[in-house]
Amino acid sequence: MTKPVLIVGGGPAGLSAAHALASAGQKVVMVEKEDRLGGAPILSGYAKLVPSHEWAKDAIGGMVSRVEGNDLVEVHLGTIVDKFDGNPGDFKATLKNGKAIEAGATILTTGFTHFDSVNKPEWGFGTYPDVVTTTQVEQMLSSGAGVKCPSDGREPDRVAILLCVGSRDRQIGREWCSKICCTVSANIAMEIRESLPNCNVYIYYMDIRTFGLYEGDYYWASQEEYKVKYIKARIAEVTSDGKRLLVKGEDTLVKRPISIPFDMVVHAIGMDPNVDNMTISAVFGVDLNKYGYVNKTSTYAHLAETNRPGVFVAGSATGPETIDDSIAQGQAAAMAALNMVRNPVLEAAE
Amino acid sequence: MPIHEKSLIRPENLVEHDELVIDGVDVSGHWSTFIETRAISDYNEDLQDEIGALGGGENIHRCWQCGSCTNACTVNAINPDFNPRYWIYLIRLGMESELVRDKDIIWQCVSCNKCTYACPRDVNPEGVMKATAHWLEMKGHTEKKPSMIFDEAFSEQVFDTGKIEDGLVLRQFFQRTGQPLTQPWLVTLVTGLIKRFPVFYLMRLGLATVFRPRTKGWSRAKAAINEYVEEVEAANRKALKLDAKGAE
Repeated sequence: MTKPVLIVGGGPAGLSAAHALASAGQKVVMVEKEDRLGGAPILSGYAKLVPSHEWAKDAIGGMVSRVEGNDLVEVHLGTIVDKFDGNPGDFKATLKNGKAIEAGATILTTGFTHFDSVNKPEWGFGTYPDVVTTTQVEQMLSSGAGVKCPSDGREPDRVAILLCVGSRDRQIGREWCSKICCTVSANIAMEIRESLPNCNVYIYYMDIRTFGLYEGDYYWASQEEYKVKYIKARIAEVTSDGKRLLVKGEDTLVKRPISIPFDMVVHAIGMDPNVDNMTISAVFGVDLNKYGYVNKTSTYAHLAETNRPGVFVAGSATGPETIDDSIAQGQAAAMAALNMVRNPVLEAAE
Repeated sequence: MPIHEKSLIRPENLVEHDELVIDGVDVSGHWSTFIETRAISDYNEDLQDEIGALGGGENIHRCWQCGSCTNACTVNAINPDFNPRYWIYLIRLGMESELVRDKDIIWQCVSCNKCTYACPRDVNPEGVMKATAHWLEMKGHTEKKPSMIFDEAFSEQVFDTGKIEDGLVLRQFFQRTGQPLTQPWLVTLVTGLIKRFPVFYLMRLGLATVFRPRTKGWSRAKAAINEYVEEVEAANRKALKLDAKGAE
């Protein structure tokens, strides 16, 4: 009997890997630091997901229940891996709660951390209650409370969504594109227009990166069917005239400064490396890349490999990632880990 | 602060004061020229819907500002100020005063439709130009253009009789635009015709001029056309929040 595969992190990538391994008859031990499984879509209360438009609690909730209900998967909640030693086929992990776990291979699906908008003070988050993040709007939608200005509960007449908050910004050491925010923002803009038809939604952008098939379903649809307006400008600052928020910037397509009132400003926040990545790197002995994500050693020959044999990685632990790609990567990592625990000798013989 | 883009400052935004003292400092005259703000402080959110309601403007909301229309444009090649992409942007965002500033250029579209075939999002920029010229006219920003006066004389006759009598179209056009009928080129054309045309055709032309024949059974078609035209005009005026016809 082979040793189980240790999966660290119970988000979409981890859930997908656990299900794939269990389906192949492989034992799995899953460790999740929060008190429930599901990762960012569940913990942060996302609303309808891209691209299926299913509610996160249904789509990801289904992934959670099929893992929780599987006898081959042992789940440890509310704890983290404290120590990790050994070699491929024979790892020993010690959890914070003292429990010791033997594992044949490990998959890190430790995910990301939402960018904290307080780090861009010029855009008013933390200063004005009506400046919110995409995550907060997701929660307004998913909780059924509806989109309302936090300051006084009124329904906004004008909403501005600022893209690239915490992405593509050397000033705050984040040079990456977070990949999903354009599409998520277009999705949120459509949901706002649907629930508040008299509300005008403006998206302030530098580039629109609704890649692949999202172009038609999100960018084009939001413009053509929902009349969301896109303005090419990186906003300089968000202030207030005492009543409404004042958004200042330059409309670069007509070379004109703008200073326009809004009821609500939404930051399309990016994906930071998991704040615990330094610890994760030290505990598991895996390298981080220059951006602070877990480094993948190979792009083409082997998926999901880190610098440490037997420790694999998948999902947004490796960089900004979509939910569906995280799920695919989880399965790829599961395949690599399965091969490792079933055929450890081949590795040694080479 | 250095001024990087002087071209962006319009002459009317430069202000000099003959006598002005601020906080005890004399800021009069040319050395203390002020530049008024050109910041956008609001959008007219109805503008896109108004243009979109007029014939040709229906797809304006699709534009994503690639500039294919302006690059393809026949008129832009001659006059760089003729910029469909720019106007579509102003309309979409509702920068009305900016748009009206170009009222004497916008109508110059020659309807070559190169933009129509270049546009990746099927905005139909030519139609938008037509709708915008129409909008400017309906809102009273521009006079009726000679081409519109010609079109009116032409279509009135078609609606009325189902036929065209070219001589009448020309006479009405010159009359309505306040031009003499004795245009040298027209006189030459008519005398040439009279000299060379077979007598039979000349007689038919003459009779048609006097009696103005109608297409047989035209009255029902005429009623239907007039009803349709009135319907569209009423809808257009409603979309632009103008009073009912006749109250311009």
